[in-house]
Amino acid sequence: MERDLGKPLFDLVLLIASAAAFVHASALPNIDIVGDLSPAFFPQLISAAVFVLATPCFINDLREWRSAARGERTNGHRRAVVQWLLVVALTLGYTLVFERLGYIPSTAVFTFCCVVGFAVTSGGLSAQSVGGKVKALAAAALFAVVLASAVYYVFTELFDIPLPG
Amino acid sequence: MKKLLGTLTLAAAVIAAPALAADYPTKKIDMIVPFSAGGGNDTFIRALQPLLEKRLGEDLVIRNIPGGGGAVGMSRAVSSRADGYTLLAASNAMLTLEAMGNVPFTHNDFDFIAKVVEEPYVVAVNSDGKYKDLKSLVDGATSDAPIRIGSSGVGSSAYITAKAVADITGANFNLIPYPGGSEAISAAMGNHVDAVVLGGSELRSALKSGRLKGVAMSYAERSDSLPDVPTFQEQGYDLTLTVWRGIAAPKGTPEAVEQKWVEAIKQIVAEGAYDKTARNLGTEVSPLYGEKLDEFIDHSAEVMSAAAGDLAK
Amino acid sequence: MISGYLDGLEMVLQLGTLLAIAGGTLLGIIMGALPGLTSAMAIALLLPVTFGMPPVMGIGMLLGALCGAGASGSIPAILLNIPGTPSSVATTFDGFPMAQKGQAGRALGLSIVASFFGGVASMVILSLLAPPIAEFALRFGAAEYFSLSIFGLVIIASVAGKSLMKGLIAGLLGFFASTIGTDPITGVGRFTFDQLSLLTGINLLPALIGLFAVSQVLKDAFEYDPTARLKASEHRVDIARPRFLETLKHWRALMAGILSGSIVGPVPGAGGSIASLVAYDQARRFSKSPDKFGTGHAPGIVSVESANNALLGGALIPTLALGIPGEAATAVLLGGLMIQGITPGPMLFDNHDGTVYGIFLAYLVANAFMLLIMCLGIKVFIRVLMVPRKQLLASILVFCFIGVYGVDGDTFNLYLMLGFGVLGYFLNRYNFGTAPVILGLILGPIAESNLRRGLQAFQGDWTPFFTRPISLTFLIIALLLLVITIWQNHRARRPV
Repeated sequence: MERDLGKPLFDLVLLIASAAAFVHASALPNIDIVGDLSPAFFPQLISAAVFVLATPCFINDLREWRSAARGERTNGHRRAVVQWLLVVALTLGYTLVFERLGYIPSTAVFTFCCVVGFAVTSGGLSAQSVGGKVKALAAAALFAVVLASAVYYVFTELFDIPLPG
Repeated sequence: MKKLLGTLTLAAAVIAAPALAADYPTKKIDMIVPFSAGGGNDTFIRALQPLLEKRLGEDLVIRNIPGGGGAVGMSRAVSSRADGYTLLAASNAMLTLEAMGNVPFTHNDFDFIAKVVEEPYVVAVNSDGKYKDLKSLVDGATSDAPIRIGSSGVGSSAYITAKAVADITGANFNLIPYPGGSEAISAAMGNHVDAVVLGGSELRSALKSGRLKGVAMSYAERSDSLPDVPTFQEQGYDLTLTVWRGIAAPKGTPEAVEQKWVEAIKQIVAEGAYDKTARNLGTEVSPLYGEKLDEFIDHSAEVMSAAAGDLAK
Repeated sequence: MISGYLDGLEMVLQLGTLLAIAGGTLLGIIMGALPGLTSAMAIALLLPVTFGMPPVMGIGMLLGALCGAGASGSIPAILLNIPGTPSSVATTFDGFPMAQKGQAGRALGLSIVASFFGGVASMVILSLLAPPIAEFALRFGAAEYFSLSIFGLVIIASVAGKSLMKGLIAGLLGFFASTIGTDPITGVGRFTFDQLSLLTGINLLPALIGLFAVSQVLKDAFEYDPTARLKASEHRVDIARPRFLETLKHWRALMAGILSGSIVGPVPGAGGSIASLVAYDQARRFSKSPDKFGTGHAPGIVSVESANNALLGGALIPTLALGIPGEAATAVLLGGLMIQGITPGPMLFDNHDGTVYGIFLAYLVANAFMLLIMCLGIKVFIRVLMVPRKQLLASILVFCFIGVYGVDGDTFNLYLMLGFGVLGYFLNRYNFGTAPVILGLILGPIAESNLRRGLQAFQGDWTPFFTRPISLTFLIIALLLLVITIWQNHRARRPV
């Protein structure tokens, strides 16, 4: 069993979030309608239920974590985390510039960064000669531009789906 | 919110290149439909689309932006560049959102180009139910047994109209909101509510099939499309309201652009090219432009905000 | 009636009509296969084109789009674990594991044939039984909808992963998310934080794409290892062909799918999204080997996919017989019918000029075209898996953006998608599962608004929920299923 602190931590986040949601829901205004449960009824019921169910999960997972052996953090693990964060960051950036830059530039940049990013983190790029690097980058750039333009054309022209200009 | 609007304005400014109004239109025109595909607004504009494209000589791109019950699409339209390349398929929903008071714009932020079609609000009951007319509904609503009236979502124009009906008749109505018109209609057909208040076009097939029976409608005079349904006015209630659909642009749109659209629509109306489709959709072509239109919109906005009353926050 | 069918046949068997249906089907297949793009959008796109067409031709084209999109949603679900619509969520349960074993072609072959059978069976039911089924659907009031949603929520137990308790938590998270937005009864804004985009609540689509597609991409990114050689050769193209006999061999799953689709599908507003999950749940419960479900088991795919296209025929029942569309796609279709001057209602079925029979036959033809086009395309679809991983991951995200942005042009939903993606990643990683969240999101509002709507209509009286026969039946079935699940769980835990 790999020792993963994330598991109990996630349960803890659920506990805190459900408590916060419960408190927040109690501040909801109520409009009196005969027979109606208040708008806060379900949010409070659900957050209370999540809290009750998450408590034993938290205790279990915490126990499991304490009894699990401390695993070696390998290079592979570090790379995995970097790749994960890379995708989240790039997707966030893509969203931020999606309407500002317009569809084709933002998509091309995003695709290029994704492909090159994976090549860098996996060490595939640095292992190559200078010529190979240029070639790989050019291929990624070409892929990015072609994908973005083709997708833009197909969706706006053929499917009439409006994308930012 | 401000930040979002700022972003949107910026994006719209980048998207829309300046163009001379005189030779308008020179490129595709975005038509924002603030509801999802399949709603009354959407069908209205999609049916009009080929006719408009023919007369304007450019493509219309229909953009469904359905968030927030129309609020997202409308605020997108408000913050768009007023160059005639972003327009809005407008309807009463704008006025009810304004009346409910949780949107950062009013109808004054728009230039209204044309009203194209309208339909009445109709009160309908199950044909096999115990209530046969408006009077029996009102009389039947006593304090201990209120009449259950179905309508579409809280804050929708049909819901606010239902409230206006309750207010003006003084009856004790238990207003039950459904997610949309079709859910309310099926509740009425299944006798889960006693009556519904909805737009005439939504009710069209239910009325035509005889499942539901119209007992009152909100035009000033009887309409050819529903000749058997009496108006509120003739039953002694001073309530005149219509569901209208038309085209609006962000404030400050060039006069020439507006003229071009008005001409195109006038042409369509004169040729009668849209009449049959409009009728099939349960609406009637009743065009209105310019100052008369502005007066009409202002009046409708007043009625809606009065009816929304204590619902508004 | 026979002469009606002959008249209808004459309307359908014309080159123009056949071409229109084929075109509609092709567009539906393409749009349905792209995550986020829906049959409703395909139909809306075709709507202006249908002007000037004769009714059967125009409606046939729209039905083609409906049918094509209903079937092709399984492609991304099987190949990439990305359900493009809520109704293909259940396809991922067995389709994706089977694809991971290198048998993507087999999974697709099963799903295509099951879709076809589902579609054809539902057409038969539609043409024979539409009016009585529509009458039955009308008996659903607030109490019945509430009980139906409770029945649906019990399915969470079937789709929860390793831990029932964590699956329940995931379902509750979805339920909670569904309460965000304007309260359906009082109009009070709940957790909207002055965000216009949240006024009508969390959109299902960004949540769906985030929870499944984005979370899957994040998982792949985490596990991306260039040193492990690409296993493209493991994806055998030669096994990719339609599988008629194998599908028929799983006739029980097929029946479960067709029945669930045809019974749950016609219930307006609730049926569409859960019919395939109900089918999966039933097929699993009545299977001799329920443990194999979720590991790439053929009956899992057959039940879900036959339900998926059977529910389309089901959804057409209230649309045609009552003029009440159950969800977005049939709502657009209703607009198309009205523009054509066809008024839905019971009279439509008494109509003797053959139009309604033409529509039935056009739907049958659409199913045949769907089968044909999908069979021709099956070897092409598989090639998606041969795109190198890096490029594939980037392209998936690009398509997710189009799906989410294309539907409502709102960047807020892109952030929402990313948020759900990260949440979904952790939910999967820590054994909560993402399917229960979707169930909670879909069924939550039905449960809450109908319970409260019912209480309002009954003046605060709870008893009608237990005394109305249909409502009571659903509650009893739900209770029974719950007891069985708990008992099975208990037995599984006991040491042998």
